[in-house]
Amino acid sequence: MNSSGKRSSAAAGRCFAALSALLAATPCAASDLDFLSADTLSLTGNVRLSATSGEESWVDGGFGKLDTSGHGDRVRVIPELGQVNLVWQPRFSWSLSATVVGSLQGGERTEAGLEQAFVSFKPMRSERHRISARAGLMWPAVSLEHEGADWHVRDTITPSAINSWIGEEVRPLAAEITASTSAGEHRLSATAAIFVANDTAGALLTFRGWGLHDRTTLAFRRQPLPHLPEEIEYLQPRFTHPLLDVGPGFAHRPGYYAKLIWQPPVPVRIELFRYDNRADPEAVNNDLEWGWHTQFNHLGIAADLGGGNQLKLQALTGRTRMGITEDNGIWVDNRFHAAFALASHSFTNGGVAARVDAFDTRQHGSLVTAEASETGWAATVAGHRDFGPVTAFLELLHVSSKRAKHPDTDLAPRQRQTRLQGELRFHW
Amino acid sequence: MLRLIIVILLVAVHAVPAAAAPLSVRVVDAHGRPVGDAVVTLRPVGVAMRGPAPSGNYSVSQKDLQFHPFVLVVPVGANVSFPNRDATKHHVYSFSPAKRFELKLFARDQSRSVRFDKPGVVALGCNIHDAMTAFIVVTDSAWTARTDGQGVAQFANVPNASAQLIVWHPYLRAPANSLGKRIAAGQRSESIVLNLRPPPMAMNNDY
Repeated sequence: MNSSGKRSSAAAGRCFAALSALLAATPCAASDLDFLSADTLSLTGNVRLSATSGEESWVDGGFGKLDTSGHGDRVRVIPELGQVNLVWQPRFSWSLSATVVGSLQGGERTEAGLEQAFVSFKPMRSERHRISARAGLMWPAVSLEHEGADWHVRDTITPSAINSWIGEEVRPLAAEITASTSAGEHRLSATAAIFVANDTAGALLTFRGWGLHDRTTLAFRRQPLPHLPEEIEYLQPRFTHPLLDVGPGFAHRPGYYAKLIWQPPVPVRIELFRYDNRADPEAVNNDLEWGWHTQFNHLGIAADLGGGNQLKLQALTGRTRMGITEDNGIWVDNRFHAAFALASHSFTNGGVAARVDAFDTRQHGSLVTAEASETGWAATVAGHRDFGPVTAFLELLHVSSKRAKHPDTDLAPRQRQTRLQGELRFHW
Repeated sequence: MLRLIIVILLVAVHAVPAAAAPLSVRVVDAHGRPVGDAVVTLRPVGVAMRGPAPSGNYSVSQKDLQFHPFVLVVPVGANVSFPNRDATKHHVYSFSPAKRFELKLFARDQSRSVRFDKPGVVALGCNIHDAMTAFIVVTDSAWTARTDGQGVAQFANVPNASAQLIVWHPYLRAPANSLGKRIAAGQRSESIVLNLRPPPMAMNNDY
């Protein structure tokens, strides 16, 4: 394990020690304690068969947006194990529980590890108000596409560009509290959180650009970066640890996120989310992993159109900065944007969905310059049918992106990938 | 003796209407589509209210993180069981004035029961799974029925008298989610149009 991994482990160790203290301080009735019964365990996963065209995947060290590689114009067909997730949800009292998810991710680069580990406190609500809290390693509630303890994608195989990025780079060690209330027929909810160990969020988004995949980052694991611009290739390794506290001392500069939800008396939910990791862009560790000061704002809208039809919209705009500020500006200054619209229709034992993504990054840095900016779009159609504990998915996805220059490769500015993918998803 | 027989006959005539007959009530929404899970209660005018017999087994199960059925009609005094058919625990509660209760954490294949001793609507929820919701309508009338998937509530024997029909639905746009309508004596069918609001979306906080 390198120093980044050691630092991450130490951070997680302190966090889990704090959580253990919380558990020890919480009275448990023996009848409510359920530590390792069959009901606390579930197993989920999927196997896939995909046919992909286009460029080399980012998982293989390329710039490809998908997690499978094509052979240029030729289609590459591969069967693969997608994921296997073991979910453990012990209960310590009627109001205190935990969620721990271990995951084996297959595909082009097989690895296993911890995906989520958090404690939840959910006391009895009152007639109009609810307070709840959770703490640990967890994704902030940004995605409208994911659900369940194993954080699976509900309507498609591949999540949107926004939620792919959340899955790979935005999963801190956090402590959050949520308060909800009803005002007439309006329902309101507010969440506030502080977090640590998410100082490198933005590195993958900057060097690779946006991606479309469900390959989440496992705790203490690294994600590969593509070829870096020559101006920065000796200042940043070809990997990033998304769960990392860069800089002196643990929790020296905690970040925060906050969320507001408004549910008017029509079947629409509107969500606003703000994230700022408050990382020091000039902080660097022994592996040359830097702090990336990343901020973003997010809008999510979910509408139930009746008759089993749903519409979901997400839009995100943000900025990440890294490195030393010199006369010609900071090394990296990436302003990023993405949005998607997802329409779905549910019927008995199944459903269909269609999604359109648009995304871009605008590079204004002195070392990562405008020629590394990208724009792109993607279109996805998918259908699924339930067969008891198994759900069969079929998905067709096309993604097109353009950047002026791909460092150290002869890739054309415009790159396109198309993938037809079948999946058997199981849940026990 | 003759006077006693006459008194008994008079009481019988008043207590049991001479021409009890079936009544069918069809409930549709503003677009003419049938409305299921509406609860129709008949209150005949000038006829002594007849309470339902608290018999039968009533249950609201939890399966696939939903309550089943969504609307249950029970007589006052009924015991309702809450069997858990899910692999996860549930924490069922209600804040409704007709019955406030809390069933803390019961696991798969376990059940709890509650006695509902006051008429009214009892809204159910689960403290762990916020999206779960259901309703128990506790009635003091023998003439209460829930509409089926075709939006029809059937009454086998109703008195031959004018009556007040009261229709309740959880998403009805009306005070107390209910509205009333007068029907004439001898009427055998009735159709009621409800102006429904869409069901609320769940606040996802299921951790």
